[in-house]
Amino acid sequence: MGSEMPHGIRLVIGTERGEVARAHAAFAEFAVARALPDGVRRNLSVVLDELLANTLSHGLAGRAGGTVSMDVKLAADRLTVTLTDDGAPFDPFSRAAPDTTLSVADRPIGGLGIHLVRQLVDEASYERRGDHNVVVLRTRLNGGTSPSEEG
Amino acid sequence: MEITTRTRGDFTIVAIAGSLDSITSPQAQQALDAAIAGGVRKLAMDFTQLDYVSSAGLRVMLGTAKQLMAKSGTLKTFGLNHTVREVFDISGFSTILAVYGTEGEALGGGGDD
Repeated sequence: MGSEMPHGIRLVIGTERGEVARAHAAFAEFAVARALPDGVRRNLSVVLDELLANTLSHGLAGRAGGTVSMDVKLAADRLTVTLTDDGAPFDPFSRAAPDTTLSVADRPIGGLGIHLVRQLVDEASYERRGDHNVVVLRTRLNGGTSPSEEG
Repeated sequence: MEITTRTRGDFTIVAIAGSLDSITSPQAQQALDAAIAGGVRKLAMDFTQLDYVSSAGLRVMLGTAKQLMAKSGTLKTFGLNHTVREVFDISGFSTILAVYGTEGEALGGGGDD
């Protein structure tokens, strides 16, 4: 409010695995510049890792020249991150939640990442818009899912 | 991410600083596999400087726990920040891995924390 700092960033990344690192770095830089609470920055970093790694290994797998864009917007006390890709239709939230009560020996790991996404932001939604997958994540900066209490 | 290894008593302590995610997990996996291949059976993960962990990192922890279990080894973790702890709780890892607050609590003896 009244700040001259940027209220958002937009980044387009390629589909090579290393591009996820670039998205992480850009988000971290934005989070520090806007003094986002550590808890929010960390939660969103986990969420971005899950979704971007997922997108690159599913929807855009084996494709050359696909693109993923990340839009981050900060408005009042709410952070909105939109991930858009032009890969094959892929709804990351279509899988059932994993059984997290299984013992270490029996536990399949698949599906866990999306379970984390659902828990670490306030809202997560998917829609197919034209020939794009669009995932929108919303989280409150205060009274959200994870208070920041440590450095 | 940076990995440093030290020993305390009969435990090998592996400290991971930075993030344990889809980018850095292969490197962490390699270091932990090498430690176990080198004979380490009592392992403590120092997460004091760990910023966040994603499912890719949890996969490394699970693989390490399974390897050690098969060799009658021990795996302890300590120093989790709020987000890492939350990810452990959400995923159920808090109940399958031994989680301690500090190095002193994890390894006993004269606490250096």
